[in-house]
Amino acid sequence: VSARLVLTAALLTAGAPARLAAQAIELAEVERTLETLAEAYGVSGMEGPVRDEVRRLLPPWAKAETDTAGNLWVRVGSGGPVVVFVAHLDEIGFRVSAVRDDGTLELERLGGFFPSIFEGRAALVHTGAAVVPGVILPRDSVGDTPRRSPPPLRADVGAGSRADALARGVRVGSTVTMPKEYTRLAGTRATGRSFDDRVGSAALLVALRHLDRSRLRHEVIFLWSVREEVGLEGAEVAARALGTTAARVHAVDTFVSADAPFELQAFGSAPLGAGAVIRAVDNSAIAPVPLVDSLRALAASRGIPLQLGATSGGNDGSAFAPWGVPDVPIAWPLRYAHSPAEVADLADVTALARLVRAIAEDW
Amino acid sequence: MRLAPILAMTLFTGGTAHARAAHAQAAPATAAQLAVRLAAIPAPVGYESRLADTVLALLPGARRDRAGSVVLTAGTGTPRRLIACRLDEPGWVVGGIRSDGYLTLRRLPGLAPPLFDQQLEGHRVSLLGERGVVPGVVGVRSVHLTRGRRVDDSPYTADDAFVDVGARTEAEARGLGLRETTPLTLEKRPHRYGDSLLAAPVAGARAGCAALLRAAAGARPARGSVTAAFVVEQGLSGRGILTAVNAGGPFEEVVVLDTGREAGVTVAPDSTLGRSVRAPAARWRLRVRYAGTPVETVHLGAVAALERRIAEWIRGAR
Repeated sequence: VSARLVLTAALLTAGAPARLAAQAIELAEVERTLETLAEAYGVSGMEGPVRDEVRRLLPPWAKAETDTAGNLWVRVGSGGPVVVFVAHLDEIGFRVSAVRDDGTLELERLGGFFPSIFEGRAALVHTGAAVVPGVILPRDSVGDTPRRSPPPLRADVGAGSRADALARGVRVGSTVTMPKEYTRLAGTRATGRSFDDRVGSAALLVALRHLDRSRLRHEVIFLWSVREEVGLEGAEVAARALGTTAARVHAVDTFVSADAPFELQAFGSAPLGAGAVIRAVDNSAIAPVPLVDSLRALAASRGIPLQLGATSGGNDGSAFAPWGVPDVPIAWPLRYAHSPAEVADLADVTALARLVRAIAEDW
Repeated sequence: MRLAPILAMTLFTGGTAHARAAHAQAAPATAAQLAVRLAAIPAPVGYESRLADTVLALLPGARRDRAGSVVLTAGTGTPRRLIACRLDEPGWVVGGIRSDGYLTLRRLPGLAPPLFDQQLEGHRVSLLGERGVVPGVVGVRSVHLTRGRRVDDSPYTADDAFVDVGARTEAEARGLGLRETTPLTLEKRPHRYGDSLLAAPVAGARAGCAALLRAAAGARPARGSVTAAFVVEQGLSGRGILTAVNAGGPFEEVVVLDTGREAGVTVAPDSTLGRSVRAPAARWRLRVRYAGTPVETVHLGAVAALERRIAEWIRGAR
């Protein structure tokens, strides 16, 4: 990770106030964790590589279990009321739906995104056993009245025939992504693909590492879910398993922010750099007002910057609704969601990790 | 910051004796390896100096001409022949810096493929700032916030682009070494796939320059002289090749490396080009797939074959 951050931390430790040094170290840990998770691949249904990284990054004392759906569970503390945090492991991408006679691969979208931004780009086909590089084909011709949207997308792994493609390990059901890399931008900003929801996953990990278990007065479940992008499928399995046991659930996921000049400004008004966000209203859930107010008071008492907003999209916590479990989603603001250019502010992620810890210990 | 960008920044800056020595020591062993390396270097039209510096460092005896092209002449006397490849590529410059730190763009003049600006949307760019390469992204509407609303399906243009470098203010953006007219391209990540395929923006042109560089470094004409030119602004006014002709000519024969759709390397006489350079001229076309896209693809085996063919031509084969 960031030599710059480590250097900053060292300099601050040498002469500046301890508080600033601690913040820099906290930011460096968040960045290191996020970078690792953001560079792992895990299209919905093939989250194994991401789950393995989360498991590897858990504190040594944590006992992790994987359920039949593929969700990763860590239980801390004991007794009720049980509080659940859930961040999702999966990312948007494609699934190979057919292998043509000419060796090209027909693609089916997994998750919501604009296909035009994946047209004519480098690709990686994940077969489960190997990663096969290729490209997502550009359209054959533009025509007289060009449109932004491409025809249905296909991939080319350099195979000249169906048999050749199969010989490279590609199968119907293989998943397809673009290559990706975490990159630091100016200040505390960073870009990467699948920040949604590797940021949430990283925040859970950092919170868990720093959790003061002696302060827990009830059981807290840290859950990393699968297949969120294709319909909250992993969270539904977890919710069914817990039934009415859970007293409260916190989806830890993206707040799709309108913090860009070309976005509709009617809502989504949580700017980057101003802290974590209570995702009080989205397409799937409405957080109960008394809990929202209580959470804001908790954050204020710990000096955690916290915004409040309404945005679009669904969240894993809403899968717990049939069992009457209140959902208070917490988030961080993200620009350009579901694109290869997602941008977040590491200071917001730090705030989110601190908020998770505060909720677990004190709420 | 990761190590790879730091290395890339070092490579792009070029120019110093130290950097040249480093480049010379690290000269790729094959034309294929060199093609991959050159494909990673941005050279927007009019701002080709980083790529030119690299070519200069890898080609002992070469020099910059008054247009900024890199030229190397082997042999003396007549016949005088010229072979050229193109350094430049389409690109953009910063058109303005907003108070909120976002950058707006202007497309550079010259030829560009269809839907070229659309390649920007939602992708990374490399800004060639005063203090090195600055990474950025071009914003894209979040699909969540557009769901259920009318979405314009007309092609994306540079007028729609807002570049995010992480700056919160104009001063912060300028502090990164950015200003109006800072050039940029898509971030270059050459991508290998299949059996010896290379995908990258302008992969064909870079492969041509790699083959020319390797051939020019190793072959000498049996009689007369051959000038190898790595020319600038080919997609704009042809300033690079015309300067090479006017300053180093007249030539008895001119070859320009280009790209095409036919298999292998094809040779096509070009009378229009010939009139411009006042000599019999031909285009040697290296086959590419997906031309003009971020995944323009070239077969690296064909690059090696092109290198051999150029070397034979330099030695005097017809």
